[in-house]
This record gives sequence, structure tokens and C-alpha cells, in this order.
Amino acid sequence: MLPLPPFALERPDTLRDLVVLAAVPDSKLLAGGTDLLPSMKHRLFAPRRLVSLARVSELHGIVESNGQLGIGAAETLRSVRRNRLVQEALPALADACATVATSTIQATATLGGNLMLDTRCAFYNQPQGWRDSIGGCLKAEGSVCHVARTGDGCYAAHSADTVPALWLYAAEVELHGPSGHRRVPLQALYDPTDGRDWLRSEPGEVLTRVWVPLGRSAVVHRKVRRRGAIDYGALLVAVRAEGMGASAVVSAVGPAPVEVVAEAAHDLPERAWEAVKPLNTHVVSTSWRRHMVRVTVRRALDAAQARG
Amino acid sequence: MSQGETDPGSSANRQPQPEGYLGPEETHSGAEAEGGVVGSGGRGKIDGRRRITGEARFVDDLSLPRMAHCKVLRSPYAHARILSIDTQPALAMDGVLAVVTGPDLPVRHGAIPVAQDETALAVDKVRYVGEPVACVCATTEELAWEAARRVRVVYEVLEPVLSIEEALDPESPVIHDWRRKKSNVLRRVRQAFGDVDAAMAEADLVLEEEYDYPGSTHVPLETHAALAVPSEDDRLTVYSSTQNPHYMHRTLARVLGLEQSRIRLVKPDVGAGYGGKCDTFVTDICAAHCARLLGRPVKFVLEREEVFYAHRGRHRTRMWLKVGMKADGTITAIDFEAWAEGGAYASYGVVTAYYLGVFGTLPYQLEHYRFTTWRVYTNHPPCGPKRGHGALQPRFALELHLDRMWKELGLDPVAQRVRQCVEPDTETVNGLRVTSVGLEQCLKRVTEASHYAAQAGKLPPGKGIGLAASVYMCGALHPVYQNEMPHSGVQLKVDRSGLVTIFSGTADVGQGSNHMLACLVAERLGIRPEDCVVVEADSDLTPVDLGSYSSRVTFMAGNAALQAADRVRAVLFRHAAAKLEAREEELVAADGFICVDREPGRRLAFADAVELAESVEGTLGATGSYRPPKIGNRFRRQSVGPSPSYSFTAQVAEVTVDEETGEITVDRVWCAHDLGRVLHPEIAEGQVEGCVYMGVGEALLEEQAYRRDGTLLAPSILEYRIPTVYDTPEIHALLVESHDPEGPFGAKEVGEGPQLSTVPAIAAAIHDAVGIWLTAPPFTPEKVLRALKKRDRSRSQPRPAGPGHTHLELLR
Repeated sequence: MLPLPPFALERPDTLRDLVVLAAVPDSKLLAGGTDLLPSMKHRLFAPRRLVSLARVSELHGIVESNGQLGIGAAETLRSVRRNRLVQEALPALADACATVATSTIQATATLGGNLMLDTRCAFYNQPQGWRDSIGGCLKAEGSVCHVARTGDGCYAAHSADTVPALWLYAAEVELHGPSGHRRVPLQALYDPTDGRDWLRSEPGEVLTRVWVPLGRSAVVHRKVRRRGAIDYGALLVAVRAEGMGASAVVSAVGPAPVEVVAEAAHDLPERAWEAVKPLNTHVVSTSWRRHMVRVTVRRALDAAQARG
Repeated sequence: MSQGETDPGSSANRQPQPEGYLGPEETHSGAEAEGGVVGSGGRGKIDGRRRITGEARFVDDLSLPRMAHCKVLRSPYAHARILSIDTQPALAMDGVLAVVTGPDLPVRHGAIPVAQDETALAVDKVRYVGEPVACVCATTEELAWEAARRVRVVYEVLEPVLSIEEALDPESPVIHDWRRKKSNVLRRVRQAFGDVDAAMAEADLVLEEEYDYPGSTHVPLETHAALAVPSEDDRLTVYSSTQNPHYMHRTLARVLGLEQSRIRLVKPDVGAGYGGKCDTFVTDICAAHCARLLGRPVKFVLEREEVFYAHRGRHRTRMWLKVGMKADGTITAIDFEAWAEGGAYASYGVVTAYYLGVFGTLPYQLEHYRFTTWRVYTNHPPCGPKRGHGALQPRFALELHLDRMWKELGLDPVAQRVRQCVEPDTETVNGLRVTSVGLEQCLKRVTEASHYAAQAGKLPPGKGIGLAASVYMCGALHPVYQNEMPHSGVQLKVDRSGLVTIFSGTADVGQGSNHMLACLVAERLGIRPEDCVVVEADSDLTPVDLGSYSSRVTFMAGNAALQAADRVRAVLFRHAAAKLEAREEELVAADGFICVDREPGRRLAFADAVELAESVEGTLGATGSYRPPKIGNRFRRQSVGPSPSYSFTAQVAEVTVDEETGEITVDRVWCAHDLGRVLHPEIAEGQVEGCVYMGVGEALLEEQAYRRDGTLLAPSILEYRIPTVYDTPEIHALLVESHDPEGPFGAKEVGEGPQLSTVPAIAAAIHDAVGIWLTAPPFTPEKVLRALKKRDRSRSQPRPAGPGHTHLELLR
């Protein structure tokens, strides 16, 4: 087995201790670890300290409050998917959770971990020996991006399955950090400019809870991938139908999801196709992913209109 | 004429038949299955429980005091000269015990004696990205990994050879510049039979097409692993995750410069191979070398990523096929060329070159056949045998090609296959001796079960059904090194406890060969398989068996086990007959007894019969061996291809094609396989299902693909996509019995053959669904969309042109 780089494990019991430990330089938060630990084995990073979220009660539980559902960041995707309120009021979120990797990973991986999932790329998520053979990846250790050699940016793709649906459900996230506590719309968390620096969060800030209004918006989630399980999304699509209009959030195409709005719902697939330009960040064919933007948005729109 | 060629004219001056047929020794394939074991289901594998409960011991489960660990540094370049290696930074680390480099193990080895071109660690040159360069042995695996990365290597980067075209270009650098032959062609094989040109001219329909079958890899769940343990008596025990312990035993002795008898080679439980563990790997050689060097146990387990570099997978094969056909569907001639991209080392590549061509004369009657095949070196990880080795790629091309031609002529492809199928007890134009043939029965079973006739061409848009047939061998007539000794040996120990111990050199890698041996022995001795213990693949204890390759084990080791069992049976019957006052011919062994005509009153429990015999004869035991018949020497170089028997398969696939996304779903597959005789239905069905599963993977998902610089696209099972349960169709395994005259109880292989017709059946189904002929698996959505676009363009044109490079000529 590939060795993990050595690290110290901190297991705070309180949110206060968690925030203090998270702020210590060279630390990373450990929730389910299903993405973090393989990445460490690939030597994408080797933090000196991992801070476990497991014992902090504020990060657990799914509660209803004022017409909103508050989901603790450390809740597993399985418990989210199986929650009755999620299934009834937020079916697209349940669908999204059910498409993550495999059922065994869903039982370990957390919702917060999914929202904070590192951006991914066919040149980045590779073992160190492989990256050495291509002269390194810009996001990991290199000086050249193999997706777009001429640019100086990183195009690693936002790949969190649950984000497009939560975005269209108008979810907010609660963050606790050294400088206090804030609650922001989910989309405010993500920065589209560079795949290396894709999170708009303060150092040491911990995502504690996701708040989703329990409306009746008709959101549909679709994941494009080659297999029926395991694969990360070649495209992640959520569509919401509202009156005459519709909106879509398309992800796995760049450092942040892309939102597309159409006043006339039937324009949405074309709008999305114009707005979303997948790059060579996946092993799956780029031209097919581009083709699938229009097809998937249209099919999701049909389903959303049927649902609404 | 260079080595490996057969003069195309040689078919004209064929040598007379050799000494005649020498059948295998004393096999009992024709005997009645009286013990009630052969063919009966509902019983698990004798060693199934330990695998399910986690009791199975794989190499990585073995741990010994003072055990050290190896890891390697691998080449970052596809082709480079090694100028210097500085091992000091690694050696300086606390806990690093040794650093080994290529020159420490300079003896070249390889699976086939005429093409031994590899060393455990690169010497002078690296020839693919991921080739092992330096091996570190340290007290922990983590430390070995860290230290390996500190070894400094200075390379002079060379121009790589990364495609078949580049390999054939005389201007390209020569990858193995030490070879006498300054060329990147490992082997060219050319054989011709009959008069292909004349027969082609007489055809009413001639179709020419190019096919491109992708490379793919095995993905065994257990990675390659070895543990070497030196002992005080100056011997070395090597535990290896291997399919071919015997060949590895020979290789290790050669490379380490040891007498073979100083090495004990043990194959513990193995987590599958599919052909990927037929060679001797860096793990085996470096663990053995370091164990001797350090005088302590050394383990070396590959990471998943490294298995993609060890590879030995299916050769990417480009093919050109031309077939002539009469208006009534009769095949007049086949002309075939194939280029196999073999990667940096030979492995079994010489054999691949032959397998690509020699099976073209089966399963349909054919008088005029010609082929030329090339197996070339490139700067990619080495290819080798994968389930259906070399025979699978041309089968894809030929089945699709024939299906297309019969449909073009408005003929029923099923009836044509039945009509033209080779007859039992015949010989093909290239000297393959055919005994039992169950193809017609296979075709009948699959078409009935799938309602093929009622569905083909009649399903709603986007739904399709397709059929293909195939043939495979039951072991090779010749071992990889020339000798006259048995291919399989089995030894039985029987004593008063009633326990029968079967000693066999076979390598069960999960396919169930242990149960097969127990089943055959139990059947002849009238006991249950659970009453037998199989001791396998331990060179100190077990007789030689050539290994789990070429689908040889049931046929060959099975016959050896039968011979041994019958020798024991004869002794027991002799003494039982005297005791029961009966004639030996009246005795039957069944249900744990030796009895007279199944009379309940006149019987002897098995253990009592053993005691009786042991009291008179002394210690009981017997050996059995199998040597294939001496056939197939009619012309030079025909040593590769002939088999004592052939298995046949027909299968039907049902697919759904989404024309908008290009995605294909394989909904159902019916696969009927002629395995001669069912020894154990569940294990046989499992093999059929496994073959179809791997076929679906190759049809839709899998490709060992490389970047332009020779780096693998993705050495991981996240991005190298084998089917998940959601991608796997409903599989109906149908077992057909043709009772082979020489197989054990009539049995033939079932481990590889069923895979050969899966991909062409799926391709035919895609054509049935949407009218496109796809010639290059995997059938990815982008390829499907491209072909659909082409189809629509040609439909809108007045004179439709066929897809691909087709030159379809209707010669009337």
C-alpha cells in the first residue's frame, strides 16, 4: 500500500478547540478522509497535522428550524441521503449523495467534506511517480499546467457532487473561524479564477453546518460519468424550473460551478452550452463532455418541469 | 528468409503425416461418471469457504520476524540511456539495508527462451515510463519507498518509439540495440494455405476492412507480490503471487545463478491473474536477491499503480482483413494481416504473433487462408497474455466481418455459422486437429434462449441484438521450453484415515483448479471432493505442472489426476473384489463405498478398502501424468497454436444505444460454451460470467491508453475503468457438452474461450440497433456519436458509402 506521509492527529472535543487547532499552520481538517487520505498518499500535500471533526457535536445532526434544514457538516452522505426530510423536500440532494463513488464511501464521506472537496484534474490526481514523469503538475509541484500550457493558471475542476443541487436549493453555509462566525450563500464559498485557490474561506475557518430552505423548488440533479458508480463526474448538472424560466448549475468544468439562467426555460440548454466550456481536465473525452452539457441540461430540465 | 517465417509455398510440399496419433496415456475420459460427483452442482468449492471468510493467505498476509521490504524507483522516461546511478543518498538513510541496480542482476530472462530480453532492473537503458531502475530494501515499507525516491539517476533522453508505425519505420531508433537483429520487430509470422488469390477471385462478395483492437490490462484484485525467505541449509523459499510457478522456478534459478533444487517455490493463495501473472517480475527477482544478500526474509508487494507498469496485458492490434464469399454465404478465402504493439519487452510476444494468425481456420471450414502478423517493440510497458491471448483480437474482426457479409447477402448469419462449422474429427488446412465440436449446439442454445430470430432486425429504434461465435484452445501442445516430459503431474497419497491428498503443481489463482482436481479424484474413488486435500504449487512437494496459462489445466492436469486416481482405484478394487467375492468389473465406487453393482449389502467403506489394500500392499500412492498427443508437425514452425482440443462458444448480446448521448448499455448476454463436459456447474458458469464481464469491459470501457510522451493516461483503477455491477449485463451462462474423446470425462476449457465472442456480439448488436459497424473498441460515446454522424451523412448522400475504410465490392 502507498505509505501515508507522517502526520499528527488531533481530535478536539469542542468547536472552540477545533477552530484553534484548525488555525495552526500546516494543518488540514479530517472528516471522512475518503479524498484527503488518497491525495496524501499521492503526495499532493503532506500536512504535519490532521484535525479530526469526529468528536465535535456541533458538526453533527440534521435539524429542522424555521423552515430550514440544518445539516451538520460531519454528517455522512449516507445519513443525508437517508434522511426523511431530505428525501421529501430536497430529492435532488438525496440523488446527488447517492451518486458519490460507492455506497461504502457514502457511509464514510461527509457532506462538509464534499462541499470542501479539493478541485480535481487528470494531471493532478495521480501518484507522485506519474507526476514526476510529466514534469510535475502546476497545482501540486510543477511550473506548467498540462491542461493549458500557455496560460499561467490552474484549471482543476470543482467536482463536489452535492454542490449544484444545494446551490439551486439556495443553501447557505455556516463557518466558524478565528475571527468569528459567519453564514454565507454556498456559491460565495467558491472562486472560479484558479483551481489552486478555489475556496473563499479564511485560514482556520471550519464549515460547520449547511442550511437549506425547505421550499418546494423543483431541482433535478444529473451526473454524467462513464460507469454506474465510483467515477467522479465528467459533468455535474442541476437544473431548477421556476415559472417560465429555469436555471442550471454545471460543475466539473472548472475551478467553480457555473450558473446559467434563462428567462425562457427552453433557452436553458443552449445558454448552458454557450456558457460552459469543459477543458482537458478529465480522462473522459472533452468533446463528449461539451456535447453532454446541452443534452444533460435539456434532459434535466424536462425532468424538473415534470417534477414541478 | 528470416527466423520465424514459414515459406508461403510450404503448404504445397507438406510433409507426410508424422508417426501417427499418439493419444494421451491411459486417460479415462470415456468412463461413466458413476461416483455422482462429476456434473453435480450445489456443492461449494473445496477451498471456497476460506476465501469467503478471509482465511485465505495471500503473499501480503505472510509476515516473518526480521522481514525487510523492497520498493523500486521507476523511470520517468519512455526511452533513455542511464548515464549514472547514485545510490548513496538512499543507502545513507537509517534502516536502508541494500540498494540494488540493474548490473547486480544482469542475466536476461523472459517467458519464451528464444526471446529473453528483460532484466529485473534496467541495465544501461530504460525502455518505458515506469520501468524499474533501482530497488531499495529497508526495514519498513515506508522507508523503502522514501529511500527509493532518493536514488539519483542521470539519464540521456532518447527519442521514443510509441506506435506501430514508428516501430516499423526503419529510421526509428532500435529499442533493443543489443539484439543481433537491428529492428523493432520482435517476430513476423507468415503462413499461407491453399490459393488465396485464386479463391478470392472466385468470390461473389469480397469485403476488406481495417480493425483496431485496443490494449487493455488485467486488473487482478491482488497486486503482484513475493516473499523470499533464506534458510540455514542455504536454500531459498520464494512465495509468489503467480500463475506459472514452474516457469518462474526455472527463471529464478537462472537469474540468481542457483541450482533449481536450492529454490523452493510456493504459490500461496492468489487473487487472480487473467494472464497478468505468467511472467517473472521485479518483485520475485528482487525479493529473492535481497533475501540472499541480507540473510533475512524480504517482501516486495507492488502498488496498484505499479501493476499498470508490470502490465503484460492485451496487445493493441491493428488488423486488415479481406474475406471472399460465394453468393450462398460460403467463405472462399481469408486474407489477414495484423500488427501487435508489444511494448518494451518480449514476454510471450512470440506466441502472440502466432496466435493472431493460426486460429483463423476455425470454427468455419476454410481451404484458402493466408496471414502475416507482426509483433513489434515500442516504448510502452510490455504486453503479454490476457484472457484469450492473441486469439481474441482477430476473432473480433473476423466475426464482425462475416456477420456483416452474410447480412449484406441477405443470409441468416446463424444458419451460415451452423452450415460452415468444422466437423468433429477433422483437420484444418493449417493442421489443427479438431476432435469434439459443440458449436451448433451452442448456437441453438443461445438463439433459443434469447429468441434471437424473433428479435434480430425487429427491435424498436435504439435496441439491438447481435450474435457471434468463437473457438479457443485447451492448452498448447508444446511447452515454452522443448522437452519430452509430462506437462502435468499429479501424485496421490491415500492412507487408512480415508483421506486422499492430491499433490499437484497446478496454480489455482481463483479459477477453481483445486476443486477440479478433487472432483475428478473423488469421482473415480467414490468419495466426496471434501474428502480430498489438495496440496498445490510447492516445488518441494508437488510434481511439475506447467501452470495456469493457455486454458490447459482442466484438460492436462485433470487427465493426470485421473490417471493417478485410476491407479489407486485399481489397487483398491483388486482387494475389495477379493473381500466382497466379486469380479473387479462388477465393482462401483460411489457414495463413500466400493460396492458390487450398487448392492447395499455387498459393500466396503472407502477407508476400509484402503486399510485392506494397505495391509497387503504396504503404503499406498500413485502418480499420474499428462503429455499431449504428438500431432501437428506437418510443417515447420507449427509448434505454436495446435492444442489437443478446442472449445467453442456462441453468444448473443442485447444492447440499448442512446443516439443522443452515444452511450451504450449492454442489457443482457446469453453465452453458450461448449466445455466438453460439465465437471462443476457453478464454477463453470462463474467462468463464463467472468469472461462475459471482462468482454463487456473491453467492449465499452477499458483501454490501456498512453499520452503522446509514452506516459500512461492514468495508472489507477479510478480512471482505468473496469465495469461495476451497474455496468454489467444480466448474464445467462449456458453450458454445452460435446464429450471430448480425450478430455477428463470429456471436459474442455471454460476459463478463457467464452470471452472471445463477447465484443463482436456487442458490436453486432450495436449495428442491429442503429446501423453502424464499429471497428475499434472500446465503443465510447464519442466514437458512437462520430459513427452516427457519418451514418446520417451517408444516408443523405445518393450513393451510400460504407463506414471506415471499407471497399465493398459486389462482384457479379
